[in-house]
Formats: sequence, C-alpha cells, structure tokens
Amino acid sequence: MDQDTWKLVLEYLAVKEDLRSSKAEIALMEKRLRDWVDQDSDREEQLEEVLLLWQDTAQLPDDGLWKESFASIKEQIEQAPLRKFKILKWWPAATAAAIIGALIFFIAGDKKSLTVNQNQVVWTTKTAAPGKIINVLLPDSSEIWLNSGSSISFPQNLKHAGIRTVKLNGEAFFKVKRDPAHPFIVKSQHIQTRVLGTSFNIRAWKNYRPEVTVLTGKVAVSRDSAGTQSAAVHLLPNQKVIYNMKLALLVREDVEDAKTSTDWRIGKMYFNKTPMEDVFQTISRKYALKVVSDRSFDNCELTAKFDNVGIEDVLRTLELTFDIHYTINKQIIYIKGGRCN
Amino acid sequence: MGENNTAGFNDNKKFDEKSFEDLYRRMYPTLKKYAIYLVKDIEDAQLILNDVFISIWKNETILSNEKAYLFRAIKNAATNYYKAPKANLLRIDNEEEAPEIIDLKETPSQAFQNKDRKRMLYALIDQMPERRRLIFYMYRIDGFSYKEIAALLDISVRTVEDHLVKGFQFLQEKVLKNSAEFR
Repeated sequence: MDQDTWKLVLEYLAVKEDLRSSKAEIALMEKRLRDWVDQDSDREEQLEEVLLLWQDTAQLPDDGLWKESFASIKEQIEQAPLRKFKILKWWPAATAAAIIGALIFFIAGDKKSLTVNQNQVVWTTKTAAPGKIINVLLPDSSEIWLNSGSSISFPQNLKHAGIRTVKLNGEAFFKVKRDPAHPFIVKSQHIQTRVLGTSFNIRAWKNYRPEVTVLTGKVAVSRDSAGTQSAAVHLLPNQKVIYNMKLALLVREDVEDAKTSTDWRIGKMYFNKTPMEDVFQTISRKYALKVVSDRSFDNCELTAKFDNVGIEDVLRTLELTFDIHYTINKQIIYIKGGRCN
Repeated sequence: MGENNTAGFNDNKKFDEKSFEDLYRRMYPTLKKYAIYLVKDIEDAQLILNDVFISIWKNETILSNEKAYLFRAIKNAATNYYKAPKANLLRIDNEEEAPEIIDLKETPSQAFQNKDRKRMLYALIDQMPERRRLIFYMYRIDGFSYKEIAALLDISVRTVEDHLVKGFQFLQEKVLKNSAEFR
C-alpha cells in the first residue's frame, strides 16, 4: 500500500477512535476510504489486512523487561528513610455516644510506623587527621583518598547493599568499582552524588560551597535538603558542579583538566580567587597547624599554585603578596599586619 | 487508543504500591525508549527514568494526566543531563538515523515459531530505526497524537506522520512476505 493511502488509513483510524469525533466526521472519512477501495478489486482485501495489522499492534505483549528495573526503584523506596506515613491515623470510634449522635475521633499518632526495617547496619568511619592523607579501600573494592581533616562513613554490608551509600565530610577522591546494578551514592553536606562506576572528586568542607569534579565516567549530582533530592545535574569528564548555597542552585562548569582537582593527593594546593579564610583553613588542615591573625582578611582573595612545598614557602608567598609578617610557634602561626591588593 | 491513561490510582487518589507498580509497567516500554532517544545512553536513560518515578513516589505526586506528566518529566530531566555539543551536530532530521541502540529480546523468526502474531509484530517493530520505533510506540501504545509526539521529540508533525507511515509500510511488507506463517 502506498504512502498516501497509509496516511488516509491512519487519518481514518484516528478519527474513528477519537471519542470526540462527530458522526459526520467519521462518515466523511469512511467515504474517502470507500472511494479508494472501489477503484480496484483487490483493495478490499488490502484494507482488511491493514486493519488487522492495526488491531494486532494495539497492545504491547508484556516481555517482563520492566520488572528488573522496577526492582531497583523498589529498593530505593524501601531504603528511603521515612516515606511520609506521618499522616496521623484517625480512628473513628463509634462509642455508645454515637447513638445520641455524637462522633468521637481518637488520634493515634504512630508516626514511625510500618517501614522502619533497620536490621542494625553497622557503619564504619575512617578519618584523615590534619596533615595526613589516607587511602581507604571499601568492602566493594571502591577506592577512596581522604584529604586531611576529612572523614568517610560506610556500612559494613556495602558490598551486598542494593544501593551503595557512603557519607563524606570534607574532601575525597573516589574511584568507584563499576556495578551498574548497584548505584553508588555519596551523601555530603548539601549535595548527593550518584554514580555507577567512575572516578571523581568531591569537596564538601563545612561552610564552604561544595564541588564535584568528574575525571572519568558519568555522575549525577543533586541538591540534598533533609533527605529530599532535587533533580539531578549530570556531569561528564572534565566537568564540575558547584553548589551555590545562597541561591540553592547547582551550577555546572567545564574545567580544563579535572585531574588538577585531585592534586591535593600529591600535596599540591591550588587557589583560584579563594577567600583568605579558606586559604588559612586549607593550610591548617594540610600542615596540621593553627593560623591566628590579628585582623580579618574578609575581602581578600588569593590566586596561587603551590607544589608540595613546606609551610615556610607558602608563608613567604603570602608575605610577599599581602605584606604580612608571620611567626611560627610550635603548631601555631601568628600573622600580623597585611593588606589586600 | 492504546491502553487507558486514567487508571493507576484508585478512586481515593491515594498512592499505593500496586498502582505505582502498575503505572511503571504500563509506561516503561515507551518511556524508556524515549529517555534513550533523548540521552543516547541506556544506563543514563534508566537512571533518569527511575529518578522520575522515585520522585513521584516520594513526593506523593498525584497525577491527573500521568502520561503527559511523565513524558514531560523525562524530557526535563534529559534537558538537565548534559550532552556534548558534538553529538548534537549529528542530529539531522529525517535523514540517516543515529546509530542503533538495540534492546531486542526475541528475533522475528523465533516469534514466528511461537506462532504468536502480536509478539511477532512487535519483534518486527523493534527492528525499525530508533526514532521510527519510538514514534510507533508513542502513537500506538501510548496514544499520543501527531502533534504531541512532534512536541515531545522536537520534530515536525510531518516528520512524525512520515515515520508512522513508513513504519506501517515496513510492517505490512514483512507480514505479506511471511503471510503463510500467520494468517
């Protein structure tokens, strides 16, 4: 059957199956189809065949493919902390009073109810002390490098969990063991990062805007407020997402070389218009020192790169840049003076 | 046409697991294809699809027009998903289709042997180029109109019609060839 005829047939069927079509409309289409059929003796049969084809494609045979992927949804739903069954249950209790027309409701507040199915999962926490970087091998063979002053928690049954969930404070580089059936989720301040198997860096220092940078594979990052996630932002290699805390917005950016985001592993420090307060924090974590200054550097920013150098070198650079004076006494750096350029 | 779009929730509009699962089962075949079409990656499509459903469940969203809502939600999620600009250049309307992403489960000949005409037809439909197959599903299974499909795929109504017509032609030819087997 040629294309024009098919168009006609489809038009006819659409009109015929549309409940809003009027009788006149249907009659018109039927007539047009009839005109076509009457032009040749074998067309009646052709039409019949085509209508049968239409009818037999109306329903998709269930191949059961959906079941597998639904199973993973189910897992996530059941893991979700509290699917809000917080609706207080009202038990209408008809008492003897009902007879005289009064209805009394009891409020039974079983907020926790139903879904709590905690088989007491044991969580392990690893912490990298200031001045130290540690390497953690998770039970599922994923590998993590923890920056100084950061910690990671993971359940002991991680390997067998439907969803591999870990919690991060601070900064870490992840090499996640690929396992498409069991997504890997990192929960950190403000954001949640979800992957199947990739390598990426998460910065999630307290009170500092979180960042996720992707080295390989694909990563989905969503905002996380009190366990509720926003729509995910998807990242490819050499992209990062920054969470803007004021606007509560995830902003995606391209980066030149994502690897630099993990250079902290070999002791390098990068500052790019970084507020001084954060610079001091980074220094104190890396060198396990305390920084004390006699004035605030509120509107000061630093842009600098440091290879794995000693603290003296770093301080000398700051001395030149900001005209500060410093003294080191045991584990405390005292900073005097200084001005921003 | 297609399956009904109003069920999935019982009269009280309360969301129970059964109707949720049912909704997923009904919507999965086309929605998954739609997500794959948009992001060109099976795993990501799966993530996007499941994310949409999970958020419906968690937020206890009540859907008045679930079909429209779901397709729209998938489209939005796919928009957030970043695609390398390079890949976009490859999109030429109506011309050669993008490389096949196949999720065949049964070959037509196996289906012949099963003497199951419906299965056979859908095994044939699954052999169509990706976009044509998706349009076929959206039209026949989900009951979208040409116009709705055109909007969801960002193509013209004419292109939708063209794909459908060619799709049906293809089916008809294949069936004619093998008419002995299943009439």
